[in-house]
Amino acid sequence: MLSFITTLKVHYMKPKHIQHLYWRVGFGILPKDIERLSKKSKKKVVNELFKNSKPMTSLEVDTSEIKHMFSAMMTDKKLDAETRRKIQKISRQKQIELNAAWIDRLATTNEILREKMTLFWANHFVCEDNNINYIQQFNNTLRRYALGDFGAFVKAVSREAAMTKYLNTKQNKKQKPNENFARELMELFTLGVGHYTEEDIKESARAFTGYSHNLQGEFVFRKRTHDEGQKTFMGKTGNFDGEAVIDIILEQKQCAKYICTKVYKYFVNDTLNQDHIEAMTAVFYNDYNIETLMHYVFMSDWFYDEENMGIKIKSPIEFLVGLKKVVPVTFKNQKQLLYLQKLLGQTLLDPPNVAGWKGGRSWIDSNTIVLRLKLPSLLTNGAYISKAKNGTNDEQLESKKAMFKKTYGKRFNTQTDWAYFNKQFKTVPFKDMESVLLACPINDGTAHYLKSLEKVSKQEYCIQLMSLPEYQMC
Amino acid sequence: MDRRNFLKQSSLASSLFFVPSFVKAFEDVASSQLGYKRLVIIQLSGGNDGLNTVIPFRNDLYYSERPSLGIATKDILKINDEVGLHSSLKPLKNLYDQGYLSIINNVGYPNPNRSHFRSMDIWQTASDSNEYAQSGWIGRYLDHYGKQPYSAIEIDESLSLAMKGEHFNAMATQDSKALYNLSKDPYFRHVTKHQNDAHLSEHNLGYLYKTMIAAESSAKYIYEASKTISSTKEYPSNKFGKQLKTTAQFINSNLNTKVFYTSLGGFDTHVNQLATQKRLLNIYAKGIEAFVQDLKANNTFKDTLILTFSEFGRRVKQNASVGTDHGTANNVFIIGENLKKQGLYNRMPNLSNLDDNGDLKFEIDFRTIYATVLNKWLEVNDTKVLNKSFYQLDFI
Repeated sequence: MLSFITTLKVHYMKPKHIQHLYWRVGFGILPKDIERLSKKSKKKVVNELFKNSKPMTSLEVDTSEIKHMFSAMMTDKKLDAETRRKIQKISRQKQIELNAAWIDRLATTNEILREKMTLFWANHFVCEDNNINYIQQFNNTLRRYALGDFGAFVKAVSREAAMTKYLNTKQNKKQKPNENFARELMELFTLGVGHYTEEDIKESARAFTGYSHNLQGEFVFRKRTHDEGQKTFMGKTGNFDGEAVIDIILEQKQCAKYICTKVYKYFVNDTLNQDHIEAMTAVFYNDYNIETLMHYVFMSDWFYDEENMGIKIKSPIEFLVGLKKVVPVTFKNQKQLLYLQKLLGQTLLDPPNVAGWKGGRSWIDSNTIVLRLKLPSLLTNGAYISKAKNGTNDEQLESKKAMFKKTYGKRFNTQTDWAYFNKQFKTVPFKDMESVLLACPINDGTAHYLKSLEKVSKQEYCIQLMSLPEYQMC
Repeated sequence: MDRRNFLKQSSLASSLFFVPSFVKAFEDVASSQLGYKRLVIIQLSGGNDGLNTVIPFRNDLYYSERPSLGIATKDILKINDEVGLHSSLKPLKNLYDQGYLSIINNVGYPNPNRSHFRSMDIWQTASDSNEYAQSGWIGRYLDHYGKQPYSAIEIDESLSLAMKGEHFNAMATQDSKALYNLSKDPYFRHVTKHQNDAHLSEHNLGYLYKTMIAAESSAKYIYEASKTISSTKEYPSNKFGKQLKTTAQFINSNLNTKVFYTSLGGFDTHVNQLATQKRLLNIYAKGIEAFVQDLKANNTFKDTLILTFSEFGRRVKQNASVGTDHGTANNVFIIGENLKKQGLYNRMPNLSNLDDNGDLKFEIDFRTIYATVLNKWLEVNDTKVLNKSFYQLDFI
């Protein structure tokens, strides 16, 4: 009887693996969910993630004001300077709202995998635009195709208003081709440097001539400026249009490999394992279905190898959203949230350039590491990290927090829900908190120091754990 | 030096902060005696209108293209029979008269980009206009030649791409005390003190510990080295003046910092340019004036080179809103005591030979200026930093 139970248990997913999975496909996991999922098999846990992400919920802020202004202008196509300025002003404010809404979405969504994929694609198909309608539409295109067909995804992105502006496809005309989009399509979106020729760029740029958009942000194909001539691209000749060029790119196995390498880097490990990437490429090249690829990755045994767990440095957004999930914190002033992202080095909707954020160790510099270690206490605990020794009371705790609130309360105008944390961690004993909150083991010396400190409360212990370099890992 | 060696050395260096202060005192003496050269970069963000900054007042085209925006001859600070400076630049004219200013005209790059973000990006990464780099030129200088995070400091709260390398980043601070306070929670000191892994940099967690240790000691070093030096010079009371004051404080306290990065924004003058640019150039020039005086009083001006640039110039023809739209080539200012070529480095832009957009055609690639500064001023291998070999200019 006993052996029967053991065999059964083998099929249950290990809590450690559940946490690993949830850090990579999401932003961490709460104790009650670990408990619930640890009574399921890996297959069930993984399938549940995909099932939850089947629906796609658009992320939208109310932009009706601008939309009305646009429709009023429909008759004469050019906007006058004053209207344009007004639209820009509203647009800027709305971008801040969209940024905050996106972060909120990441922390609260049930479609975790879809949202994490959206974040991944936002740093792959990198784009920005000062028009809120265009960038919002672009953002939702990322969300819509996040787990879909990669080929259709590339085609959709190439037709987005924001993208035709960002990489100048709009200016790409038969009489005067602009190669910007064609180049980045291959260099950054599909193949990677060195897998195409300058001639391929020239010829494919011709295929993308005539791409444009109307004021509402809908795709418009300007036949007049499209080059109908023969193009020779990657060894094939024909009167190719943009879609045909993308189809030819997808025929290259390198395209599947390039995407799989990026997925591996983002979801598995900065250090590449060519065998695993080869295996992924074989799966992806089959039909370029992103969902199938991701399912394959999360079901692979190697995804849960020791060497892949708790070894990635969280992006600023992973760090911030992960923190919010454990201790809900809201910013009364959305600009402060934006400012914080800037300080941490990753402002959503505002990428450095089309190559995106480099990620990995480049997130960390002297300023960001200091800020990251200080931030949990700064945002949620009156900047206080308890250092009370074993067997002592932390007598300064209340007074220090009160002093901070008095001095800096305005600067960090946040609302923190510790009651939520206490409820979530009610059944978690002190000794298990480390493994719930941290993705990697604590450095010996640090562990030794922590042991010498009094566990004043779960809240204070949580802050101590979150103020460690180990908390930066996922 | 490879990365591992470099980290070994930097950890060695950071441990020096815990040994008696005479070692540090020795370092300071060494750096001040050996003519420790420093570069100060000033970024004018938004695209400063170079044509109304260094003005070709004898050129009819200038006035015909800018009927209500051209600056009247009487308001111009003439530097020769044909060229004058904007009236806000009196302090710069003084530097010019003393031979401390070199103006390089028509600086740009092939296939110019007229987007602020993109063009600034190109200037900061020193990439070609069709190439996207994820590291900046000063960052790559640090990759090869930096010793500490504070080898290059941006006087701001966060780092520009210019200051981020492939493996190594500069440091940002506009208030050394605030940064120090943030880093000095005893909790962190205990945590980093107890780290015991000998192979710290080889995995990501170790890298975090290592960076934190370097950050703690750097913040402490900057704060302690500079806290006793305060400037007696009056600086204009604006953000830019404050940045330069902090920069001077760091330089005059002999901080082992090779590069300082500051910026002044607001130059995107599409509308009613005259008043805005006048105000901004005034902030710029007054700041520079105080800065140079401060350095001179402390005998550090001779070892400081100041480079001012903007991501692009503006269109020759004014627009309908008495402003100018995004353009291309622009002038770059080099300020220093030991200039080889003082005054106008090259000829003024040719206003009758414009590109299809009605913009100036560039003559000098901005990266030749970087290469020159790297090679002749910072005395390093410019090709390594710029990943390409560029022609050297002879302004220094």
